[in-house]
Amino acid sequence: MTNFTRKLNFAIVLIFLIIISLVVLYPLVYVLSAAVSPGSSIATLSIAPFADGFTLDHFRFLFFESNYPIWFRNTLFIAVTTSLGTVIIASLGAYIFSRFRFAFKKGMLLSMLILQIFPSFVGMIAVFIVVLRIGLFDNLWGLILVYLAMNIPFNVWLVKGYMDTIPKSMDEAARIDGASHFRTWLTIIMPIAKPIITFLAITSFVAPWMDFIFPNLLLRSPENQTLALGLFTFVLDDTRNEFTRFAAGSVTVAIPFIIAFVLTQKMLLKTLGGAVKE
Amino acid sequence: MSLSLDGNGKSKRAILITSLLFMGLAHILFFKQYIKGAFFALVQIAMIAFLPVVIPAIHGLITLGEHRPELSVRYRDHSMFMMIEGVAVLAVIFIFLCIYFISVRSAQKTYKDYCENGRLSNNKTSIKEVFNQSFAIFGLAPSVLLVVFFVVVPLVFAALVAFTNYSSPHHIPPGNTVDWVGMDNFVSLFGGQTLWTSALLQVAIWTVVWAAAATFTCYFGGMIMAVIMKDFKVKFAPFFRSIFILPYAVPAVISMLVWRNLLNGHFGAINRTLQHFGIIEGMIPWLGTEAMVRFTVVMVNLWAGFPYFMLLTMGTMTAINQDLFEQARIDGASKWRLFRHITFPLVTYQTMPLIIMSFTHNINNFGAIFFLTGGQPAVAHSPISGATGADILITWIYRLTMETLQYHFAAVLAVMIFIILAPFAITIFVRTKSFREGEL
Repeated sequence: MTNFTRKLNFAIVLIFLIIISLVVLYPLVYVLSAAVSPGSSIATLSIAPFADGFTLDHFRFLFFESNYPIWFRNTLFIAVTTSLGTVIIASLGAYIFSRFRFAFKKGMLLSMLILQIFPSFVGMIAVFIVVLRIGLFDNLWGLILVYLAMNIPFNVWLVKGYMDTIPKSMDEAARIDGASHFRTWLTIIMPIAKPIITFLAITSFVAPWMDFIFPNLLLRSPENQTLALGLFTFVLDDTRNEFTRFAAGSVTVAIPFIIAFVLTQKMLLKTLGGAVKE
Repeated sequence: MSLSLDGNGKSKRAILITSLLFMGLAHILFFKQYIKGAFFALVQIAMIAFLPVVIPAIHGLITLGEHRPELSVRYRDHSMFMMIEGVAVLAVIFIFLCIYFISVRSAQKTYKDYCENGRLSNNKTSIKEVFNQSFAIFGLAPSVLLVVFFVVVPLVFAALVAFTNYSSPHHIPPGNTVDWVGMDNFVSLFGGQTLWTSALLQVAIWTVVWAAAATFTCYFGGMIMAVIMKDFKVKFAPFFRSIFILPYAVPAVISMLVWRNLLNGHFGAINRTLQHFGIIEGMIPWLGTEAMVRFTVVMVNLWAGFPYFMLLTMGTMTAINQDLFEQARIDGASKWRLFRHITFPLVTYQTMPLIIMSFTHNINNFGAIFFLTGGQPAVAHSPISGATGADILITWIYRLTMETLQYHFAAVLAVMIFIILAPFAITIFVRTKSFREGEL
């Protein structure tokens, strides 16, 4: 290859990458610019980002005049509780599926695998009635219970796959030393399974932030709204397009997400890839 | 009191009969396993105590209530409450039968051990030991209970609704009752009502086409980017890489809603930009016609989905033995041939399970369709079916449930999704390591 064709190749690749980058960045930059632009609807915004001036009004509105702080607090509570609960329940279940032999084990594992292919809102009318009947309608705990239940099938499988790779001699040694099953699980298995537990904690923490369907189904009163419900009301209706407020709210959620993702991406992908190969 | 046991297998019948007669009886009478026996007996007593609840619930599930217009709405039978309670009670009965089965088997096993060893194994009955033995039960109970009552019961309920006429406007409780109608809904959807049948056909075909198109575009898009970035051995590569993973990091729902605003046919920024530069004359209805909206969702989904496969391919490519490339290069293979014969087959083989998972995910990709298209565009059957030109099965189910209240047809669609996806789940199950090694 001559020097010239190599340079030409390089230039073509570079231009291609720059064009793709622009396409990738365009909507993100536009949202960022909308969040600090005056005005409300996307119809009034200039087509060039950051050309309308700069204002923090939308953030001021969100933080001080809207229910944003309440939405945020509710969502944080739901996410933390769901994450903790999922970690405890799913890792206990996975440990038992990995280490014990008992009746119906195969059937239970297969049915969990089939259950997790269903988007859980297929049964949403029934979920609604169940939650209503146990008196947890319009209550954050009702939503948390539903999330926990939905998380279990897939995550028990995931964690079980990981725990299967931990040698059984580890827990047998602990058992010989007189440790109970509970202690073995807590002090031997859990520390070794830390990567998959971290993955579990992160994914189950992240999911509630942007779920719209179940909060919409199970929560009613203004003091029980979540971030997703609140933000979507700004744009779900075309006649009341408050794109800039939505953009400001989205930015406050998306930026922590991006930072967290960039920090953990290697671990997340490795875990997911590894879990599937098992 | 404990009855004597025959060591040579003659007491087998006695044990079978006592254990069948009342749970735990055999454990207490023959084996001196008082705690275990008491636990089983308690389960049986609880079940008997609940019989007054169980029988009316089953009856309610069978009849779904009587229509009594003379009563005020408050006192009428609520078919759906009766149905869900019936299903929940069935779940409890099922759990009971499992425990019953376990207790009988446990009694037989204990007796078999006795015959072999000639004595009963020692029963340590300290509290600590009992707790330890029941660890599996207590550890699994929360998972099982949550999954049974919040996942299994709702799904069984959804499947049962497919055989009722639960729908607006004539069969919505509590004003009216719902009745079992057998296969009527399936007949209506599969040929009985022309408009519904054509809607179903259209949506079902689009669901499969969409899932295939979405998976393939993202997979190849991601792979092309990964290969280019790998060839591009300069210091810029990490910079581009961190730009390209951004769509994956943004919550999908946010990006879909943003795209929906950008692509708005009347005032969206993209149309106005294209107009400004004189590329188009009028406005392009990105989300306005059936053909356009289908093209647009696949494209936007590519934007959101290629980074995942790009990262995945990059990870897999580093694991390819570099000697292979060296050898091929010495033999004079071009870059394209290297890709075609080494990178592509190896990466595809490695990531096959993830491609399959991505396909099943896209069959159910609610967010990409629902939040991006927002109920547009209407097609010929929309006024009756409620489905838009962009709807896939899962978003149609959502609309039938939340907007037009045609629960009975939504349930039929749910059953269809099950039929489409169950083989995938079973394939994955059979491929797992623990299954293949016969551990299960």
